[in-house]
Amino acid sequence: MNLVEIWSRKYKLWLAFSIALLLFSLLYISIFYARNGELFYKDTSLTGGTVLTVYEAGDITAIETNLKQKFPDVAVRAISDLTTGKQIAFSIETSADPDALKKELAAEGYNITEANSSTEFTGSVLSQGFYRSLLVALLIAFVLMAIVVFALFKTIIPSLAVIQAAITDTTFPLAVMNILGMRVSTAGIAALLMLIGYSVDTDIMLTNRVLKRKEFPLLKRISDSAKTGLTMTLTSLFAVFSAYFFAISPVLKQVFFILSVGLATDIISTWFGNAGILKWWCDRHKIE
Amino acid sequence: MWIWFFCLLLALIAIRPNFEKGVIIKSVEEGSSAALAGMSRGEIIKEINGVKISNVADYSQVAYPNIKDTNFSIKTKTGTFSFSSKELGIKVENRTIINVSDAARDAGLKEGMLVLEINNKKIANDEDFYEAKTLFEPKEKFEIKTNKKSYTLMLNKPLDISVGEVPRTRIKTGLDITGGSRALVRPERTLSQQEMSDLLAVSRYRLNVYGVTDINIREARDIQGNQYMLVELAGATPAELRDLIAKQGKFEAKIGNETVFVGGKADITSVCRNDATCAGIESCTELQEGAACRFRFVVYLSEAAAKRHAEITSNLSINYTQQGNYLSKTLDLYLDDKLVDSLLISSDLQGKVTTQVQVEGSGIGSDKAKAFDAAQQNMQKLQTILITGSLPFKLEIVKLDSISPMLGKKFVMNILIASLVAIIVVATVLFIRYRKIKPPLLIMACMLSEIFITLGVAALIKWNLDQASIAGIIAAIGTGVDDQIVILDETRTGEQLSQKERIKRAFAIILGAYSTTFVSLLPLFRAGAGLLKGFALTTIIGITIGVFITRPAYSDIISRIEK
Repeated sequence: MNLVEIWSRKYKLWLAFSIALLLFSLLYISIFYARNGELFYKDTSLTGGTVLTVYEAGDITAIETNLKQKFPDVAVRAISDLTTGKQIAFSIETSADPDALKKELAAEGYNITEANSSTEFTGSVLSQGFYRSLLVALLIAFVLMAIVVFALFKTIIPSLAVIQAAITDTTFPLAVMNILGMRVSTAGIAALLMLIGYSVDTDIMLTNRVLKRKEFPLLKRISDSAKTGLTMTLTSLFAVFSAYFFAISPVLKQVFFILSVGLATDIISTWFGNAGILKWWCDRHKIE
Repeated sequence: MWIWFFCLLLALIAIRPNFEKGVIIKSVEEGSSAALAGMSRGEIIKEINGVKISNVADYSQVAYPNIKDTNFSIKTKTGTFSFSSKELGIKVENRTIINVSDAARDAGLKEGMLVLEINNKKIANDEDFYEAKTLFEPKEKFEIKTNKKSYTLMLNKPLDISVGEVPRTRIKTGLDITGGSRALVRPERTLSQQEMSDLLAVSRYRLNVYGVTDINIREARDIQGNQYMLVELAGATPAELRDLIAKQGKFEAKIGNETVFVGGKADITSVCRNDATCAGIESCTELQEGAACRFRFVVYLSEAAAKRHAEITSNLSINYTQQGNYLSKTLDLYLDDKLVDSLLISSDLQGKVTTQVQVEGSGIGSDKAKAFDAAQQNMQKLQTILITGSLPFKLEIVKLDSISPMLGKKFVMNILIASLVAIIVVATVLFIRYRKIKPPLLIMACMLSEIFITLGVAALIKWNLDQASIAGIIAAIGTGVDDQIVILDETRTGEQLSQKERIKRAFAIILGAYSTTFVSLLPLFRAGAGLLKGFALTTIIGITIGVFITRPAYSDIISRIEK
């Protein structure tokens, strides 16, 4: 395949690009941490607080200005129906507790009842517990995944290549969320966890074919894998991306957003990064 | 491949889509005419007096009897009382009145009185009483047809059952979809296994008292080992939930207006449970209609409470009945200021300071087995009430959510549309890549069957599908498609090898991918106090079904097609 031949001539360059992406993500997150004391912005499910969703249209800016006096950290968002574009609900997020918020809204003249609203309240101690335990979960997931990969391939450099792809696929979406100022929820962290296992599928397929199939020349093995792998990633990417558009719930939207960015990143980290490392390693060990 | 068909069938059976018309019986009041006739929970009422019932509205229209008042004349030891009412309105035990309706009370009847005659019929024992009730209370005939059998009942008030719409499938949906309240409660210190099960039992009972039937209470833990109690109520307001949970539950035992003992270690030192020597079912007898079983268990009071009991009972008079001698007033048990039970006090206990009190009661059912179960349930209920208010730890609500059911329907529609779009998009991409119609169609069929089987498993293990779970199903589909693509490509290349060999290689890749996803989701079972369990569970079920069932089926089909 012509594309693969073009790639193979300058593959070290493409590899550098993928590594640069990884380094950029790690760097950005570190700077963010240094500046804010946290790895990412957290929403009320991780800091503690209330999310009040009201199923009526409302003036977002007016509500936010009215509430800002008593609740300086309030954030009000509109939720719109996909097909009509009309606003069907709005959500208010603040670290205060729900009763205080509802009282203030009643005082402002808004009618909030059990039938037309949903409330989610998380105590701050609990949410900090969530945060800690989810970070631990991320770590454990990584370690377990690394163990499985090593057990599969039993060689160091190729296994590290797979793990490098997983790290890139997880940290780049996080860096993107930091750049966009998005607040990560518990569901968002679950999505990151999913990415660890999900994105690794293409890398495992590539490494398996390169290491174990000797009947074709190396470049053909890589190009065949690319055809399969890109189909895999593109189908998942399009599916998740369309789900992102259609979903109304903000929680699900965040999950699908993270998955979309992660899968897009996987294209680079697998076919520039992982493939590049494998080619280098094969050339070194004279594998054809 | 046969495994695949088998699983599809199992899933269909597990989900059991129900197109039956009628209303489903959600609960039957113990000892009521419905219970004695043999009606039970889960039966579907299809017809009443010839009128077909298709929903709860139909039922409400037909199920109320039209009764006129009748005259009752009740002779007791203290005198004769007459009144006019739709029902007799008194409950007795050993012919002694333990409960009085307003109409009867206005006529002068009181608890503790001994019934001698009703409308000139002599009452010598409880059987006579029930006979009289049947004879004299005005009743309307109801012919009720359910999916099990036909009943003919004479009723003077609506059936003591609660009904609901027949659920369309056996798939249970979580709170995000049905609406309701959820509370995550943390005890102030670590509880032992017994303490935790007491807490769950007490909470369940107290919530049941409110007549809420859709309750889900369970223990939850998180990675750091903290214990929580998770309470989910469909259709309750968070304010009610908060009051019920955070407050300890007030328990009082009174005789008349005086308090004998309250919940708490100060008065109740312990309640006998799980020990056959001091708690259990004593005996069972056949009644005219059905059977009754008696239970007893011992409650240990403190000295102070025992003294109070002796003082208060020494002033009461005694009723002599055939079944035994009892004091004129009953021991009334109040939970959260609501009367939950009235117990007869044996005359031997009058004026005695005894720290061991035997609590007795009974359970009624349409046959001995049902009566036994009813008696056990009642015994456990009483034991639970007595422990309430004496839980030695405080509770804190750390998370309280209330979800309006309005979102539920919209949400389900939205998710279905999103999934459909995703599937169509995937099919299009595949068609572009492979330029043939058959493989993409096959992959679609596999994906749909995978969703179906996952839902079947969820219905089987009675898992509540919530938002997170549904996201998990979609995630599993994504991996599923990846694997089909791998199989497809493997079987098209490698011409040197046999079909079997090619599929073997594909599976090596797939199993590798499966293990990494499986392993990365495991931590979610504990993290976040199990709130994200749904996501991890459905994803893992989905990919497992995929790897072990649909993929093999798929590869079978592919090899047949490609040949």
